[in-house]
Amino acid sequence: MTEPLTLPRQRLHPLTPLVRGAKLVALAAVAVSWRGLSDLGLLHWLIAMVVVLVGAVLVSAVVWAVTGYEVVGRELRVHEGLLSRRVRTIPLERVQAIDVVRPALARVFGLAELRLEVIGGSKAEAPLAYLTVAGATELRASLLGLATGAAPAAPDDERPLFTVDNRRLLLAQVLTPQLLAVPVGAAFVIWPALAHPDWTLIGAASTITAFLGVFQVPVRRVLDEWDFHIADDTAALRVRQGLLNKRSQSVPPRRVQGVKLTWPLLWRPAGWARARMDVAGYGGDGDEQLRAGTLVPVAAASDAASVAASVLAEAVIAAPVDVTALPVSRPPSRARWLGPWSWSRIGVAVTDDVVVVREGVLTREVVAVPLARVQSVRVVQGPLQRALSLATVTVDTAGGLTATARLRDAQDAYHLAGDLAARSRAARHTFAARLAAAAPAPAPSPSPTAAFEFPAPGQ
Amino acid sequence: MNAPVAPDPLRPWPDTVAWRPISARYFLVRLAVLGVWVLILTLAALAAAVLWSAWCYAAAVAIVTGGALRAVFLRRSIRAWGYAERAEDLLVRHGLLVRRLSIVPYARMQFVDVTAGPIERAAGLATVTLHTAAAASDATVPGLEAAEATRLRDRLAALGEIREEGL
Repeated sequence: MTEPLTLPRQRLHPLTPLVRGAKLVALAAVAVSWRGLSDLGLLHWLIAMVVVLVGAVLVSAVVWAVTGYEVVGRELRVHEGLLSRRVRTIPLERVQAIDVVRPALARVFGLAELRLEVIGGSKAEAPLAYLTVAGATELRASLLGLATGAAPAAPDDERPLFTVDNRRLLLAQVLTPQLLAVPVGAAFVIWPALAHPDWTLIGAASTITAFLGVFQVPVRRVLDEWDFHIADDTAALRVRQGLLNKRSQSVPPRRVQGVKLTWPLLWRPAGWARARMDVAGYGGDGDEQLRAGTLVPVAAASDAASVAASVLAEAVIAAPVDVTALPVSRPPSRARWLGPWSWSRIGVAVTDDVVVVREGVLTREVVAVPLARVQSVRVVQGPLQRALSLATVTVDTAGGLTATARLRDAQDAYHLAGDLAARSRAARHTFAARLAAAAPAPAPSPSPTAAFEFPAPGQ
Repeated sequence: MNAPVAPDPLRPWPDTVAWRPISARYFLVRLAVLGVWVLILTLAALAAAVLWSAWCYAAAVAIVTGGALRAVFLRRSIRAWGYAERAEDLLVRHGLLVRRLSIVPYARMQFVDVTAGPIERAAGLATVTLHTAAAASDATVPGLEAAEATRLRDRLAALGEIREEGL
């Protein structure tokens, strides 16, 4: 065996406690809210915030002092805790994706956070916050090299796949259902101001803050998906995005569990669509899910489809196939009793590499799952479906995505399930063969040479 | 047996797949669990009727009737459970009102659980659950004889090891 590769135990960047403290102060300010500010008065409010800051920085400094990380062989170990110690060991073969996130606050100090996405973790495991930007990027390249077995790619042999048009992104987020709330919100702010002359600035500010909640999703999308780039190099798909919080993700294409294209109703006149990829580590809560798997925030439907096709092609190592153009098999006409509008829209298509499901009447969707990634196949038949001799076939993946073919003829459904099981078995073998063929000079255990020299973050 | 035109959702592919039933004793286990629940709820309803309002007698009657109806259907729903080990995957079917069939490849197995509750243990039965990386996968076989549960677990573990591909 090769000599184990090591990076000695080290601490995070010394400015970490300050950034964490500042973050806590921001949270405290939100918790106190406008009302608190008016009750306390500016001076007391400032004093309270300074107390919170000092306390938070002191606690964070202790946490920083006892936290450390090291790389031993093909594992990342993170040491934490003062009283109850914890050492988390992450085998790098199991890493699904690595993100470098630069929150607005950390950007002020030139710092970044490194997040490893692992299956089974409810959130990003072992976020290394904070490192220098250069340190985080280099550490990611080395970890990714260990994770995939491929040599770390030079930053300039990237092949750009897609770049979002920022004007279109703004316009697309205006064309969301939240748009309908604008007149209502404006009325709520303006009407009391006219009716009660003693309506204070703080009252107006509170109302506006409350209404910002309604726009949270579109505003977040704009902030998160601003300057969205996706590119592709030898080791991974690289996604860079964000206006305030910059995020840079590296996803090895083999970790993509599925792709979903969506045509929202209000975007249809413009002919736009968006696309997401499903990666197993990005389970988490809805918020994280919203940001993590974006493939195309908004683009002409044909562009979105072609990006999705090329990502899928890399995921299964095959020629790209336009999944939106595959002829789907529709449910039988008696399905109209259960889906009067949807029965003529939905359908399922199976090739040797992917299973594609079309869904939705108002918001149309296409879900494509590579057969080599299928975890299990299910057939479910409820009482109404049984009366009509219909059934639903569901394909599960390791991510949150499932491809569900509803309202199939019952006999077809069992046939389809059997077929999917057989084809996914075949696809797994083909994929393994293609993978072996794609790496003519196999490097199963990368040797500890200069290629994997670790940077020393924290300078 | 019907003509092949109308497949029986309870036994898909009857020609090629050897479906195994679960233990008939599992019916007694479920009946016992049901009985305990009915007893607790009925006593609670009766207590409420005495202390609070006579309407709760109606609730007690409804609970007993519901329990009896469930017991009638329980036997059939136990018969609806079945599993089959094919060369590359495990099939599990169950459900009477909503019929479900799961096909889980051994290659996708992450781990196997064998569990047995107190009543199951008294009846010498156990439940085998095959977990995959997909949370939605549904491969649970309850009411297996202890020996059969061990055999199934060992076989699944062995097959999973041979075909292990991770993700």
